[in-house]
Amino acid sequence: MDIKRRNNVRVGGSGNATLLFVHGFGCDQNMWRLLEPDYSKRYKTILFDLVGSGGSDLAAYDRDKYGTLQGYADDAIEIIDQFANGPVIFVGHSVSSMIGMLANIKAPEKFAAQVMVGPSPCYINEGDYFGGFERKDIEGLLETLESNYLGWASTMAPAIMGAPDQPELGVELTNSFCRTDPEIAKHFARVTFMSDHRADLPRLTAPTLLLQCDEDIIAPIEVGEYMHKVLPNSKLAIIKNVGHCPHLSSPSASTDAIDTFLATEGL
Amino acid sequence: MSAAKPLSPETQSALDLAACGLLQTDGDGRVLRVNRTFCNWTGFEPQDLIGQRKFQDLLTMGGRIFHQTHWAPLLQIQGSVSEVKLEIVHRDGRSIPMVMNAQRHTAAGAVVHEIAAFVARDRDKYERELVESRKRLEALVAEATRLQAEAKDRAVFAEQMVGIVSHDLRNPLSTIQMSTAVLSRGDATPNQQRILGRIARATERAGRLIGDLLDFTQARLGKGIAVSPKPIDLQAVIADAVDELAQAFSGRRLRHVREGEGSCNADADRLVQLVGNLVANAMTYGTPDAPVTVLSTVGESTFTIAVHNEGTPIAQDVLPDLFTPMTRGANEANAGRSVGLGLFIVGEIAKAHGGRVSVTSTVEAGTVFSAVFPRHDA
Repeated sequence: MDIKRRNNVRVGGSGNATLLFVHGFGCDQNMWRLLEPDYSKRYKTILFDLVGSGGSDLAAYDRDKYGTLQGYADDAIEIIDQFANGPVIFVGHSVSSMIGMLANIKAPEKFAAQVMVGPSPCYINEGDYFGGFERKDIEGLLETLESNYLGWASTMAPAIMGAPDQPELGVELTNSFCRTDPEIAKHFARVTFMSDHRADLPRLTAPTLLLQCDEDIIAPIEVGEYMHKVLPNSKLAIIKNVGHCPHLSSPSASTDAIDTFLATEGL
Repeated sequence: MSAAKPLSPETQSALDLAACGLLQTDGDGRVLRVNRTFCNWTGFEPQDLIGQRKFQDLLTMGGRIFHQTHWAPLLQIQGSVSEVKLEIVHRDGRSIPMVMNAQRHTAAGAVVHEIAAFVARDRDKYERELVESRKRLEALVAEATRLQAEAKDRAVFAEQMVGIVSHDLRNPLSTIQMSTAVLSRGDATPNQQRILGRIARATERAGRLIGDLLDFTQARLGKGIAVSPKPIDLQAVIADAVDELAQAFSGRRLRHVREGEGSCNADADRLVQLVGNLVANAMTYGTPDAPVTVLSTVGESTFTIAVHNEGTPIAQDVLPDLFTPMTRGANEANAGRSVGLGLFIVGEIAKAHGGRVSVTSTVEAGTVFSAVFPRHDA
């Protein structure tokens, strides 16, 4: 199995330490395009697409393997083994921060630190725990995905509306960014939003930065505060950002928070 | 947040009359401008939206998640989205499916999103029906495939059973035959000899039937009937076969017509079996007061065995299926006589030799079954 092809791995930058950027549900490694170039000046960087997303090999999408996040965690470990030459700093967005946690718990010697961007260990409210959603909200998401079914593959490409302000992106992003097989998208959504990894949190001893947006419906502040309480070794940085993707909408604030954390950890 | 600069009355009027819903929001989704059409569709007044709500607040919960995971990142990175279908929640709570385009630009250093929306109820209905149809179709195909596999399994199993049972019947039959032979060589009264004769003939018939069933099984399981071709004197083999058959059908007339002669490469026992099956058929279905004729012809590169009988012709629409196992001609009076394998085996014997069978049947000319064979190993 050609891992580079399977996960569309891109290696760049140079430096003593290595940053592994892992996108979450929705879209692909292009989500890091406002952050990674800066870090590649100071660190070795590895970008890849989760199997089923972006430019990954869709044929490698095994519903059993990727029926839990552990399947993705195992892939991440394989990528670290092949492309990194030492413990990495895992930068995971959204559900991928849980993927990083699972990989870290399985192979702690391969990880130096965790940066979790908009993380959540469980999205569904339960008892006193506030995850942000009721189960019916998640069913509603799956229905939304279903009803956009016929518009998935080439939808949302700049072919129709163009890419104003950044015309150079128009060509390279046509039909690849956010392209997903509708069935895979539905399955990944279900796996992501039905997952519950609260019990694993106490087992993550690596130094962890929680990058929390102040207005994020997917990873609300209550979740960030919960994680900060339960994780053995974490720091909580709250960023002024409406939405779930501070690495896109507030890149400099994100970079500042990450740099501060890395300096404190001596990385 | 600063309100958008008011538009001139003419501009606002033109936007209000647009045939689609139009909104303008800031980078976080807060509504800056909205046209009349969008307000009419969603039940909100402009003052309910401008500066009061974010675009994403108007979506269903599923839509809001999608907005965060796909819509917003796309607008950030590629600056536009197109043909996204989401449900907008009307002020009174019902959902309206809308297809939307959006683009992002900067004005005076601030990010602005322009959104155009079309109500898509019919399209939505159509799409849902398509998705449902496709699901139903996939389910049907899966079911059909499953049934087909099941049927195939059953057929193979049944045919294997036939083979196993037939094989196992040979032993008891053999015992009966041997015992009958011993008894008839000993002190049996004439009446008992007659009875022993009947037992012997019935046992022979049973043996032939078992042979047919075994051949059938072998052929159906793909191996084809086994033949061991050798150079034979065809006319002599057929003449002997006709003699034996004439004894078996002693009340009827059986003729042998021969043309040509010479050595042919074939399995003599199988040819005898073939002639026997065709003659038995002819005797069963042909008219009893006319003779059955066996015609054996040796040509230059082929030889032919044909059997002719007079009588009611076979219906034309039945002719193509005659060599298929388990089908029978129209003569219902003889329905109890066989399981319909005779002709199938005739066809398989011909095929195993590289030959083929055919049949013609008319009132004037009667019925003729022909088997043509290559004379030498091809």
